[in-house]
Amino acid sequence: MTTEGMLTSSSLKNPWGRTLYSLKRTWYKFSRNWLSVLGLVIVVTIVFLAVFAPYVAPYPQHAGKFVDFKGKNQPPSWQHLMGTDTIGRDILSRIIFAFRNALLMAIVVLAVSVPLGTLTGLTAGYYSGTWTDTVIMRVTDVFISIPPIILALSIAAVLKPTLMNSMIAVTVSWWPWYTRMTYSLASSIKNEYYVQAAELTGASKIYILFHEILPNCSSSLFTKMALDVGWVTLVGAALSFVGLGEQPPKPALGTMIAEGVERMPAQWWIALFPALAIMFVVLGFNLFGDGIRDALSPEEA
Amino acid sequence: MSETLLDIKNLHVWFKVYGGVLKVLNGVNFNVKFGEKVGLVGEAGCGKTTTMKALLRVLPNLALIPEGDIFVRGKNILKLNSRELADLRGRGLSMIFQDPTSALNPVFTIGQQLYDIIKYSAGSSGQKVANKKNVALSALHEARLPDPERMLDSYPIQLSGGMRQRVCIASAIATARDLLIADEPTTNLDVTIQDQVLRLIGDLVEKKGASLILITHSLGLAREITERVYVMYAGNMIEMAATSLLFKKPFHPYTQGLLASVPRLSGGGFAEGIPGRIPDYRNPPPGCRFEPRCQYAFEPCSKAMPPYIDVGDGHQVACYLYQNGQEDRKNA
Amino acid sequence: MPDVMDINNNILVAENLVKHFPINQSGIFKKKWIAVKAVDGINFSVKQGECFGLVGESGSGKSTTAYMTVGMYAPTSGSLVFKGEDIARPAVKRPMHLKKDIQIVFQDPGSSLNPMRNIQNILEMPLRVHNMIKKGDSIEKKVIDLLDRVELPSHYRFKSPITLGGGERQMVAIARALATKPSFMVLDEPTSALDVSVQGKIINRLIRLQKEFGLTYLFITHDLSLMRNVATRIAIMYLGKIAEFASANEFFQKPLHPYTQMLLSSIPILFEEEAKLKPNKIHSVGEIPSPVDVPPGCSFNTRCPFKTDICFVEDPVMREIEPEHYARCHNI
Repeated sequence: MTTEGMLTSSSLKNPWGRTLYSLKRTWYKFSRNWLSVLGLVIVVTIVFLAVFAPYVAPYPQHAGKFVDFKGKNQPPSWQHLMGTDTIGRDILSRIIFAFRNALLMAIVVLAVSVPLGTLTGLTAGYYSGTWTDTVIMRVTDVFISIPPIILALSIAAVLKPTLMNSMIAVTVSWWPWYTRMTYSLASSIKNEYYVQAAELTGASKIYILFHEILPNCSSSLFTKMALDVGWVTLVGAALSFVGLGEQPPKPALGTMIAEGVERMPAQWWIALFPALAIMFVVLGFNLFGDGIRDALSPEEA
Repeated sequence: MSETLLDIKNLHVWFKVYGGVLKVLNGVNFNVKFGEKVGLVGEAGCGKTTTMKALLRVLPNLALIPEGDIFVRGKNILKLNSRELADLRGRGLSMIFQDPTSALNPVFTIGQQLYDIIKYSAGSSGQKVANKKNVALSALHEARLPDPERMLDSYPIQLSGGMRQRVCIASAIATARDLLIADEPTTNLDVTIQDQVLRLIGDLVEKKGASLILITHSLGLAREITERVYVMYAGNMIEMAATSLLFKKPFHPYTQGLLASVPRLSGGGFAEGIPGRIPDYRNPPPGCRFEPRCQYAFEPCSKAMPPYIDVGDGHQVACYLYQNGQEDRKNA
Repeated sequence: MPDVMDINNNILVAENLVKHFPINQSGIFKKKWIAVKAVDGINFSVKQGECFGLVGESGSGKSTTAYMTVGMYAPTSGSLVFKGEDIARPAVKRPMHLKKDIQIVFQDPGSSLNPMRNIQNILEMPLRVHNMIKKGDSIEKKVIDLLDRVELPSHYRFKSPITLGGGERQMVAIARALATKPSFMVLDEPTSALDVSVQGKIINRLIRLQKEFGLTYLFITHDLSLMRNVATRIAIMYLGKIAEFASANEFFQKPLHPYTQMLLSSIPILFEEEAKLKPNKIHSVGEIPSPVDVPPGCSFNTRCPFKTDICFVEDPVMREIEPEHYARCHNI
């Protein structure tokens, strides 16, 4: 039983008509769950704040070198919605700038992990059972077994602790998960009849990997990417909590929590708001990721 | 009324999807008497599985039943709560599915799965089954499976498709008392095994005095063991007759087209089949749902769904051609 | 390269074709490899321009034979010659002109078309792979031509396979096979997954295409009534060997092998006249042996109602019982 819905033959011929139709249909699948829409709202908010931080934050200069000992340790008020920290900086503004670093780290980590992991996973999966598979997957196993925080500490011990170095550490331990996921998808997809048909006609291996197998991995890939932004943020916060990553005075969510932990419970706002911010990011991207998974799920006949 | 086991009256089932509502079932009327063997024939997408799911109350959440009733032994099951329903299911309604491989759990032995079924169906009817093993063994024996003792300890993967299906039949027979629903039970089996399995189903049902609903898209199979056949198209029962009558003289244009499409053993090539496609359930035709594809369509056909017209000997057709003796339209 | 056919106009010749699949049943302490004898020494030839039918049930080896022809498997031993060229190797080792010339249409159109691509991309693929688009030609136009040949509207190229019905998907699969202008097409149960009303349309189109383009078909199915109306010569396979081989008329009017008779007598038929065309009912007695555990002597001896002592000892050889009618049985 198949239905065409609102797609008529005339709207099919128009390329904009086709795009509009598939966008509308994707939105329908996405928005069936209100939580996914909530996730989308959160994600858009975070991105907006991160991009326009200097214009949106109430005290943009507090994100740099700034001290105001008179105004230190102020509880939340109308001037400082989230209070000030131990050296008088507005916590809300610092959180907004910290989102920038968080997103930047996520983008960099994913920009390297996803292509690297997907390529290796596709290749290993397509050639599963051969030496190519064994070599790739065993190398992947080695990298998977490296804990990100220990790696970051080691790199920081040798080089300086900077944002770039912690990004490198996280990336190195992140890409193998994409390899694993793509590997399991590719090794089952390659047995489908449409892949056999392409092979029998003589299509090149590159064509088969990128045009037959990869499109069928896309929904899992995009879902994982959305969820990963949240998880990378969490790992980044863990790293900056122990002093790696972005160094003070630049704001980072983990660092802010570390500073505020000593002041608990009297000046509770210094640690609590950054923690809530982290939760906000992870929750938002998780809900959004769930929505992406629904939106990209295959049509039911 | 007491001799009717199942009576589905004017059932409508809708599904909520993107862009509207799929109005799948459009007033289905279907009944089965005690001890009767009824066939339900229709092609893919006509709604036969939906009807069975509605009967067993396992429709997905996005389905609604805006109109219609289903009576089992006189009780309207659409109005029962879940406890009463579980009671009803345990007491004598069982189903055989199309794919025996997925109907059997691969990590449990046949014995364990049979014991579970026996325990569950007995428990809900308030009886304790002392010796599950004997019940299981006799069920396997009745299903004509070789070496039932060893079968109990085997895993589904060790059996062939035909044997697995017979195990499913055994489990259904062990618990069926009133009604057995067989949904395309032989589709995935070879022709010679199909024959065996079908005869087995027919014999067992007769022995137990149970009723049978055989759902299939194959007219030939329906002809083999049923007494009465319904033909379904796009959410309606469009023809119903005693099996021998239907195949000798089909009335509805769809049934005629279907019978004409079956390749003949005598050779002679293929009919072109029936032109067109099944309707879009989001926007079904307002009148008879077969009207867009029917070569005999005339004005009342697009206005409203035709009623059931009795053409003699309990043979009913939902077609305006037979109202007031309009049959000559066909020859016009 | 000129078409090289032998004096009998055979386009494909198979001699002693064997395909065994090794299965590892090693335990911790002992190594054990057994062979699934999917195809166990068959001989056949296909003439240019004919429709050669291969019939059998599951486990008979018909699909394996077809897959060897196309190159999905490499034969374990034996020879397979196409237009004078040896093709007994997998597709990866075959030259491009063979991949262009031999095409296959799979049984299930749902899984033979990539659901994430649209029809345009699917049909473009073979055209691009074989460089069939010259400068100045529009690839869109070629795709529209292909759709036209299978009588699908041109705007379908924007659709994805999920939005098409089963019959339409199969037409797309056929169009894809035709794209490379092959001379030989393997049709693996092309209509088994489709409804009866669509079957006729597809088969008729396939027959028309065969005449139009001078194609040769290797047609595989388990449905004998279908085969009757399609094939010119038929071979029936059982457990990896050919049991009987004859022209279509001979095969159906005078089936010689007991298995053929058993198969023919199990077909469910719809009409009284057809019943007379079937041989008398031969019921299958016993179980189908697994291809791993083929009994000695004639592999059919577990189910044959006419078996004699010699059937348990010696495997029969293929003999020409009547002109152009071959069978493998001791008791004919």
